Amino acid sequence: MKRRVAFALFIPLLLGACGTDVKPSASSSAPAVKSVSEITVGATYNDTDVMFLQMLIDNLEQGQQMAKIAADRSARPEVVDLAEAVQVTQADEIKLMKGWLDEWNKPTVLDERVSLHADHGGMPSTGDEEIDSLKTIKKAQFETAFLNLFLAHQHNAVEFAQLELDKGANDLTKSFAERVKQSRTDQVQQMLKLLAG
Amino acid sequence: MRRTIAYPLATLGMVASSLAVAASPAMAHGYVSSPPSRQALCAAGTVGDCGGIQFEPQSVEAPKGSKECNGGGAAFGVLNDESRNWPATTVGKSVTFNWVLTARHRTATWEYFVDGTSVATFDDKNAIPEASVSHTVDLSRFSGKKTVLAVWNIGDTPMAFYNCVDVNVGGGGGGASTPTTPPTKAPTTPPTTAPTTAPATTAPTTQAPAPVQGAEGAWAPGVAYKVGDKVTYEGVTYQVRQAHTSIRSWEPGIWTLALWLPL
Repeated sequence: MKRRVAFALFIPLLLGACGTDVKPSASSSAPAVKSVSEITVGATYNDTDVMFLQMLIDNLEQGQQMAKIAADRSARPEVVDLAEAVQVTQADEIKLMKGWLDEWNKPTVLDERVSLHADHGGMPSTGDEEIDSLKTIKKAQFETAFLNLFLAHQHNAVEFAQLELDKGANDLTKSFAERVKQSRTDQVQQMLKLLAG
Repeated sequence: MRRTIAYPLATLGMVASSLAVAASPAMAHGYVSSPPSRQALCAAGTVGDCGGIQFEPQSVEAPKGSKECNGGGAAFGVLNDESRNWPATTVGKSVTFNWVLTARHRTATWEYFVDGTSVATFDDKNAIPEASVSHTVDLSRFSGKKTVLAVWNIGDTPMAFYNCVDVNVGGGGGGASTPTTPPTKAPTTPPTTAPTTAPATTAPTTQAPAPVQGAEGAWAPGVAYKVGDKVTYEGVTYQVRQAHTSIRSWEPGIWTLALWLPL
């Protein structure tokens, strides 16, 4: 296992409890990091932070399966673009979150998938059988089926993010949760429009 | 190799709390996504000024037995407001209602009403539904603009979830219809002239004004970016790596390097 040495930076007024400073710099320069896996999270965290990351990784890995099927099977280019953009952004998010859990020496998978989700508003958000059914459903019905399933799925991520925003402790994880909440809320909006027309 | 930028310290008073996360009440539930329910129209931004329902279309929960769009009570009263002139979706005589469920509660029944009269009931016998549910309902005895009340009766609580879905049965009839949304059958037959640059054909009111496209425009949400398009954001120029319609938090930066290449 990768073991990392922790350095304490005693510049609390500047950096506070954050890991990587992800705020835009005052100067007009390109981002300082070239890959999301360079973004580090920092040592202050609680159980909610860990659970949020673990639950969201599980959600995203299911989401990647759905998005891949949609990129292959959707007829409309708008749906294909959305599915592909979701795939690449979520791939980075998975890397980012696994890196943070590694940083905390926490497992990146849920050990009790069903019961954990059940405590937080429901079953696993999406059934694996339902995802599989997207592979075989008739092409004419595919987009409606995919969009409805993925709407629910992305909405679940909004709920995980809200839990983190309410009860998490790590500043960077909360700021990431805010981004998840915004991006999924807007994806839901796009998908509702795609369903309507 | 991973470059570590900064390692933090546990600041005073912010030592990691290991309090167990209290089990939250079920936060999430479900709604009719297509034909769009009133709450779905609010969530999509197709109808504006809806208040909080815009962010939680799945939360129209109230005790069973109501015939109101908001399930009765004080919450989400906008859903009952007929003066909002809710757009009606043109449908055929047989309509498939699609539900999005964000929590899969045990289910007693799904009920559909028109003008206060039940037109269809689906008995789930207290089973747990899947994350998306569809019902096909015969509306052949109606024509013109109707409001369908779709109700999800939960099996293990006294509660239900309410949706009003405005439809125009058969199209054309009814006189007062405003079929601004196309038929639900449309998604299966994409237009051959699919405009890849149009992010949405509805709800221009909620979209940010389209920025100058092409060279060096400022980044904005709601724009269909193609691979190779360039934008500026916070003084930096980026090129699109993956085609997408921009949304909040997909702006160029270190979180979105999969979409944007800094130049």
